[in-house]
Amino acid sequence: MDQTVQNSGRLEKLEGIGCARKRREDPRFIQGKGTYVDDVKLPGMLFGVMVRSPYAHARITKIDTEKAKAHPGVHAVLTAEDLKPLKLHWMPTLAGDVQAVLADGKVSFQNQEIAFVVADDRYVAADAAELVEIEYEELPAIVDPNHSMDADAPVIRPDLDGKDVGAHGKRRHHNHIFNWQVGDKDKTDRAFADAPVTVKQDMFYPRVHPCPLETCGSVASFDPVRGELTVWITSQAPHVVRTVVGLLSGIPESKIRIISPDIGGGFGNKVGVYPGYVASIVASIVLGRPVKWIESRSENLSSTAFARDYWMTGELAADENGKIRALRVNVVADHGAFDACADPTKWPAGMFHVCTGSYDIPNAHVSVDGVYTNKFPGGVAYRCSFRVTEAVYVIERMIDVLAQKLGLDKAEIRRRNFIRAEQFPYHTPLGLEFDSGNYGPALEKVLQAVDYEALRAEQAQKRADPDCPTLMGIGICTFTEIVGAGPSKSCDILGIGMFDSCEIRVHPDSSAIARMGTMTQGQGHQTTYAQIIATEAGIPASGIAVEEGDTSTAPYGLGTYGSRSTPVGGAAVARAARKIREKARKIAAHLLEVSADDLDFDLDGFKVKGDPSKTKSMKEIAWAAYNNVPDGMEMGLEAVEYYDPPNFTFPFGAYLTVLDITKKTGETKVRRFYALDDCGTRINPMIIEGQIHGGLTEGFAVAMGQEMPYDEQGNLLGATLLDYFVPTSMETPHWETDFTVTPSPHHPIGAKGVAESPHVGSIPCFSNAVMDAFAHLGVTHFNMPYNNWKIWRQAQALGL
Amino acid sequence: MKIALEKSLALPVGADAGWKLVENIPDIAACMPGAQITERVDETHFKGTMTVKLGPATVVFRGEIEVASLDAAGRTIHVLGKGADVTGGSGASLDLTAQVRETGAQACELAGRSEVNVTGKVAAFGSRLMSTVTDQLLKIFFANVLAKAQALQSAAPPPVPEKLNGLALIWAVIKEFACSLFGRMKAG
Repeated sequence: MDQTVQNSGRLEKLEGIGCARKRREDPRFIQGKGTYVDDVKLPGMLFGVMVRSPYAHARITKIDTEKAKAHPGVHAVLTAEDLKPLKLHWMPTLAGDVQAVLADGKVSFQNQEIAFVVADDRYVAADAAELVEIEYEELPAIVDPNHSMDADAPVIRPDLDGKDVGAHGKRRHHNHIFNWQVGDKDKTDRAFADAPVTVKQDMFYPRVHPCPLETCGSVASFDPVRGELTVWITSQAPHVVRTVVGLLSGIPESKIRIISPDIGGGFGNKVGVYPGYVASIVASIVLGRPVKWIESRSENLSSTAFARDYWMTGELAADENGKIRALRVNVVADHGAFDACADPTKWPAGMFHVCTGSYDIPNAHVSVDGVYTNKFPGGVAYRCSFRVTEAVYVIERMIDVLAQKLGLDKAEIRRRNFIRAEQFPYHTPLGLEFDSGNYGPALEKVLQAVDYEALRAEQAQKRADPDCPTLMGIGICTFTEIVGAGPSKSCDILGIGMFDSCEIRVHPDSSAIARMGTMTQGQGHQTTYAQIIATEAGIPASGIAVEEGDTSTAPYGLGTYGSRSTPVGGAAVARAARKIREKARKIAAHLLEVSADDLDFDLDGFKVKGDPSKTKSMKEIAWAAYNNVPDGMEMGLEAVEYYDPPNFTFPFGAYLTVLDITKKTGETKVRRFYALDDCGTRINPMIIEGQIHGGLTEGFAVAMGQEMPYDEQGNLLGATLLDYFVPTSMETPHWETDFTVTPSPHHPIGAKGVAESPHVGSIPCFSNAVMDAFAHLGVTHFNMPYNNWKIWRQAQALGL
Repeated sequence: MKIALEKSLALPVGADAGWKLVENIPDIAACMPGAQITERVDETHFKGTMTVKLGPATVVFRGEIEVASLDAAGRTIHVLGKGADVTGGSGASLDLTAQVRETGAQACELAGRSEVNVTGKVAAFGSRLMSTVTDQLLKIFFANVLAKAQALQSAAPPPVPEKLNGLALIWAVIKEFACSLFGRMKAG
């Protein structure tokens, strides 16, 4: 057979990096055969339901559980008083704060957990929950974080009374959590004072919710005989949960098993540890029976981990040509009643300091104040790395505001400010080192693909015609994301460095099992990790089983969020596979009776340099690993890698959208959305495309409809899918995707991560397009979400 | 959520007769559809229930009413109410000031200003319906008060107050909603 054809056949069989391999997860999902937490049913299992507060802020004067306990089928009703002897009525948060598991004398947000009713089934538990009688003394609520630090603001957290220093430094008010600053303030102020042009814009990034299709839940099963606790849980980070549960319960981690089964979407919502998890564990320990807790949709939308709620003021200083000299950003961050943000410990505003974006900005300063309000806790990265969506939003909006002030084209101002390819690795004024990028060509490729000049000409024509029924908006976003948290020297959670891990065992027949510390929730790890191993170790992907989510079998890892699976977990996979390859090389050399240095790795085996007829396939080597290894070598073919990344990775993209807005109705149609992503080396183009479609759709949802509105009393008015916008195929626009490839120089295979870029990049792209539609009428900004009602009001205000 | 209401009603009786209607708490409460005074604790404190139908859900509030001040000379009453629904999912409070003003020999005006605060599930899920439902309840309330006043005027025995009719209320809410849409369109 022709050598090339033979090679291509072997390559195809491998299904390695770059192959559009079909997702191995899908057969079970599309047949309804996935196993989610609510599918776990154990003998004797009971069901727990939370009793929650109708008030946003109130003192609890009395809790009477007698009627509920007397209800047939009820086994226990837990309150803070029951948890106190176990010291489990409060728990640590990932952000260094504490959170009430069950309200301890006071509720601080609507729907806060007060009591946990455990009964034979969820219906009995729900009935009994209504029999728990609670008396409240209502207190004034703080809903607007801009008033959290008013002198007369009510105290939200009396448990912090007298504590002037929090987990992130000095607190200057009883509702203050932290002030975090980065950058050179003096230099930035001087740059602003000297600049010929400055712009300033206030913007609010509304509180939104990741709203995964599957809500959060757990099944806790404590075996009193063995003293072992097993918990099935909706967690993106099962090992972190094990550590928290161990810290809380005093049970050694060796006797705790956390299992994340299939997860029906996480998007950051399933990173934290929630009161329901703890309550189900305590109930199982107390009752000696398995206890299940599953949130309702409204509970999910109103009590477990929101995202954003950032009040940002952006400022840019520039010269007359639009070359930026400085960026200044001040933020008031609403963290709700407890600081339960999921950020690396040292970064209370996450990676917000990536806010200088894709631009060569010499001076920058950022200040973020985190405050408490009477709203539910969270502040997670909703399909983004920590606070990166907010950071990209502020810089991408500001550069448009600057362009508008200078009368410059919005593509041109970006060209004038891009970090050039030769400047990488690029050190930002806020302390980050961008690994690689090539921004200019990416933007030009997009502009050419959509015929940007023609679009601008059409827009000018429409603007000139007073009878034109529509407004046309062109939005551009050229973003840089920061993902892959992260280097343990700067990133940890609860003191554990943010490495990740992989363990590979190659069996005698050359099939393999690989286990990781990450946790897939739609990213397709079972498919893509196998592809990395296939390329790096020469074992066909179809023979590689990938397992995650069970802390008893998987090596310790920090989990999947912030697009860290490929940059950190994927790197661990590649390096573990390379260890396999290197041991295989030695075995092959032994079998071929040559020196290991005389062998070349060739797709699925080794060949002797200069004599291609002498080869050993991985299949032969795997068999030999169990019966014929060189003297002094251990039997078997296994490898473990704990990978601590040297830096983050910095995927980027160039997006452009065209909107048509009907002046009289506010109806906004997405005519076109063109998304070019550069995520470095592309492992599986089909999965990348799917991830981009998902991210763009969630970006569309946030920009055009999602918000969690509160009234003055702290009632959440949008905690159902009647109000909360989740787009279906009916609303979702058509997406056009494109790519360039700029590998990361420090990642073993040059990959950067992709799942979150489209979310991060599309939201400001939509905002920029809406503002562009109104820009000729003097509008620089109004806040999301851009539903038809809000757009119509803007059009009305302008007399259109 | 906070609902502030300011309404007035012309009554075909003298101011003194009108005031007598208002100062009798159990009587006037009975004019409110779904409301009932269940216990008089003392001169100024009452216990009662209020049933409200919000779309498909029926919420029963149980609470206390306090007559904070009663000025017979000025014909003004200030009432505070506080309650929670029996399932514990919602709370409500009321601050109401009502005054009877003389407008003629056999005519007066009942003017009320109230602020209702609702929290919990009712506010979270019923916010869209709340003001329309409140409006409808008040319309029935005023019709009942008017009927009582007219009965006083003709010295006939007072009629049985109009009860809360679920279907009629739903229809009125739908009608009101449709009107508000139409109104909005006209405004646009």
